[in-house]
Amino acid sequence: MSELTVTVGPQHPGSGHFALIVKLDGDKIVEVIPDPGYVHRGDEKVSENKNYIQNIPHFERPAILDASNMLFPYVHAVEDLMKLEVPVRGQYIRVIMAELNRIISHLYYFAIYGIFVGHSTMFMWPVADREHFIDLAQMISGQRVGFAFLLPGGVRNDIPEAVKERANEACNYFEKRLIEYERIFMNNPIFEKRAKGMGILSKEDAIKLGVVGPTLRASGIKSDIRKDEPYAVYDKLDFEIPVSKDGDSWARAWIHIEEMRQSMSIIKQALKDIPSGPVKLNLRGQVRPPPGETFTRAESSRGAVSFYLISNGGMTPYRLRMITPSFRNLRAISHITKGLLLADLPPAFWSLDYWPVEADR
Amino acid sequence: MNYVFKLFSAIISGIKHLFMRRLTFRYPNQKLKFHGDGYQYDPKEGVGISGYRGRHILYLEKCTGCSLCFMMCKGISQAIQMIDLPNIQVPVNKKSSFPQIDYAKCVYCGFCVDACPFKALFETNEYEMVSYDRESLLFTPEQLAIKPKYKGTYEIKYGKRGAYHG
Amino acid sequence: MSEIRTFPDFLKRSSIVLGVSVLFIIIIFGALIYTIPAVSNFKDVLLELIGINSLFFKIAVFPGYTWAALIATEIIWFERKFIAKMQLRVGPLYAGMVGGILQPIADVIKLVFKEMISPSKSDKLIFYSVPLLSSAIGASLLAVLPVSDGWLIMRSDVSMLIVFAVIGFVPISVLLAGWASNSKFPFIGALRGLHQMIAFEISMLIAALSVVILSGSLDLVNIVQAQSRIWFIVLMPIGAIVFFITLLAELERIPFDLPHAESEIVMGHQTEYSSMAFGSIQLGTYIRFYALSGIFTTLFLGGWYGPQFLPAGFEIINQIEWFTLKTLLVMVFIIILRGVNPRFRLDLLLKFGWSRLLILAFLNLFIAIFILQMGWFPFTGGI
Repeated sequence: MSELTVTVGPQHPGSGHFALIVKLDGDKIVEVIPDPGYVHRGDEKVSENKNYIQNIPHFERPAILDASNMLFPYVHAVEDLMKLEVPVRGQYIRVIMAELNRIISHLYYFAIYGIFVGHSTMFMWPVADREHFIDLAQMISGQRVGFAFLLPGGVRNDIPEAVKERANEACNYFEKRLIEYERIFMNNPIFEKRAKGMGILSKEDAIKLGVVGPTLRASGIKSDIRKDEPYAVYDKLDFEIPVSKDGDSWARAWIHIEEMRQSMSIIKQALKDIPSGPVKLNLRGQVRPPPGETFTRAESSRGAVSFYLISNGGMTPYRLRMITPSFRNLRAISHITKGLLLADLPPAFWSLDYWPVEADR
Repeated sequence: MNYVFKLFSAIISGIKHLFMRRLTFRYPNQKLKFHGDGYQYDPKEGVGISGYRGRHILYLEKCTGCSLCFMMCKGISQAIQMIDLPNIQVPVNKKSSFPQIDYAKCVYCGFCVDACPFKALFETNEYEMVSYDRESLLFTPEQLAIKPKYKGTYEIKYGKRGAYHG
Repeated sequence: MSEIRTFPDFLKRSSIVLGVSVLFIIIIFGALIYTIPAVSNFKDVLLELIGINSLFFKIAVFPGYTWAALIATEIIWFERKFIAKMQLRVGPLYAGMVGGILQPIADVIKLVFKEMISPSKSDKLIFYSVPLLSSAIGASLLAVLPVSDGWLIMRSDVSMLIVFAVIGFVPISVLLAGWASNSKFPFIGALRGLHQMIAFEISMLIAALSVVILSGSLDLVNIVQAQSRIWFIVLMPIGAIVFFITLLAELERIPFDLPHAESEIVMGHQTEYSSMAFGSIQLGTYIRFYALSGIFTTLFLGGWYGPQFLPAGFEIINQIEWFTLKTLLVMVFIIILRGVNPRFRLDLLLKFGWSRLLILAFLNLFIAIFILQMGWFPFTGGI
């Protein structure tokens, strides 16, 4: 068969908000060229017209799935320039929201992975289990999806009393559910045959391409910003970082399950150790950093997100640059899909945890 | 042989779920219960009081028309506009200007509640804002002053055979 | 409009009209039979033509097309509710009195009201003949199913060959649907379907061949009678597993539903069909599901044999009941497999079908010949 060029484009049940130009030879893929940019809205330029508090609902929208993790480096950048000291109870609550967001985002990853592989039960179960954590996040912050909970100087409100018991019940319930996920999906021999050995990213290639997040940890490199440069109260909490040496799609899915277990243990510890006190500094609405520039990073559920803030003393930022983990992993799509069959293209690029809206901003 | 055992354990896991309780709840007949009375803000302390962020409620007798909520929303979604209502006379509001909220644009972030220094604007539990045309989603200050009647009684409970809404 | 007319309302009204008219006909006819002798003769002739022992009744009503269509429709409902319960949710709920039981009928009525479109450059004759072919394949497989010892539609010496000849038409219908649509995605789906079915048909034939060797005849009724003491699934478990897996591949069910893999090639070879053409193809698929499960019951699970729990005069009904029960159990097991597995990839599927399954099928054949030569199985030769 001659060479065929197919656009697995934006209107396709197997792609997100972006296009993949695929050159095929029969059923085998010769080359994949990703074509992002369909959702580019100029987020960084728009942020120059909003003041520092109005930017908070703005910057959580690109990756609305893990909103709190995206806001972490932004609030750290503003606090860095203003030299603020956040109260300890506020930092603990920030960590609890961040870990809840991580679980919510990972469950969505499994849901779409299930659909792409053809497993409809694995679509329904994670979406049902997300309900427990979204309910918890709604008790804490007041909204189910767009939280807008982190502020420069702390968090917006204190957590109610009923959260502790409900969080413990939800975590106990979910730990039993993770065993069922392993039985029906991860250890299913059909899925193992499909995903093991598919889309391998070796250790040298991972370092050369500059990937971040669970993709990096699945290729054998133990790197996590929560342990390397601890922020908030992560240095006081006890958790591990799962690493795998295989680098194929099965290992990337396995790392997501292990990370969910670690997140649950972090939430339980944080709820037990949380001290009493104020949850935010009272800045009386004056958030106006002095002139300067700073660079901050945090670990979101897809990898390392970083903000570079230049301020000239005005009400709005002078320049804000935001680099998201999906944008860093974009190069790996064309690298791991060489030689695969066409049927493996959606599971392969989704296992890198690529979220198109975040990469385009 | 290993494959057969793993496939068998997957089938047993599927059959086990036939005896668990369903998580779905039937929406118009059963509604979710929220803790608390809605999101409120205490301007003296400077912290919010946790609650659900739904439709707003405006206390007409406390609103002074300072339009701080309008200025905060100007950068977020431009959902608040200040209008003059001469037939409502409130002692603290000299020009009788009150905010109106367009719920086709509101993102329910709650920063307008944070911005109000007079405890005049809070948020309530109601989220069922549907209408047949765009104009009826623009709530005038008199409409915002009516306290909504939302009553929900179902929440997630954890039982022996799984989690359910009860 | 003063009142909202709903589907249960419509059913109530139409059933009242139908019931009254049927009652009317019975009363008039019954009154005439006992008075006028010509009408009494007419009644005898009528009973012979369409009564309960006539060919028309067997083909059209039970266990023929109407019964199979009813099972096919209700299996769609059952599958949706069952899979929903496994996934911790509710399935169809609002159509009908009991938990959405009239949902498939509502779907069929919706399909009837849609417009039948076809792509502009497609070959209309072949395009519109595929739904007919699909229903015809399902219906002709029903003709040889042995539901009981004496009372069945057709009995012939070579029923097994008829079954396999009809199954051989299925890849042709897939290819015709894909080719006549003249579009990219159906073409890919049709090629995948052909690859899959050809790879698995040979193993199906060899697994069935070992059953024929052990029982000594090609007649399905004789095969069931040969299992009167012990079922073939106990003697040849490997053969049963091989036949079961190839059954899933012939029906294009998960885990073998590569020809219509939704997230990649929209609906495969059935993409361009709409309205009742689509409805006929789906009906044909589910009737084939029922018929092939019936064949599996006949070959391996002992057909109509089961303990007699009805009083002595009702043996035939007892046999029919056990046959139906076993077939439904096989269908439930296939539905459980749907809820638990993902989809195979094409090269893994072909590797599986051509190497592992073929080896297992031949191994089973040697075991069957071995059992026969050692004389352990008492029934040899047909009746």
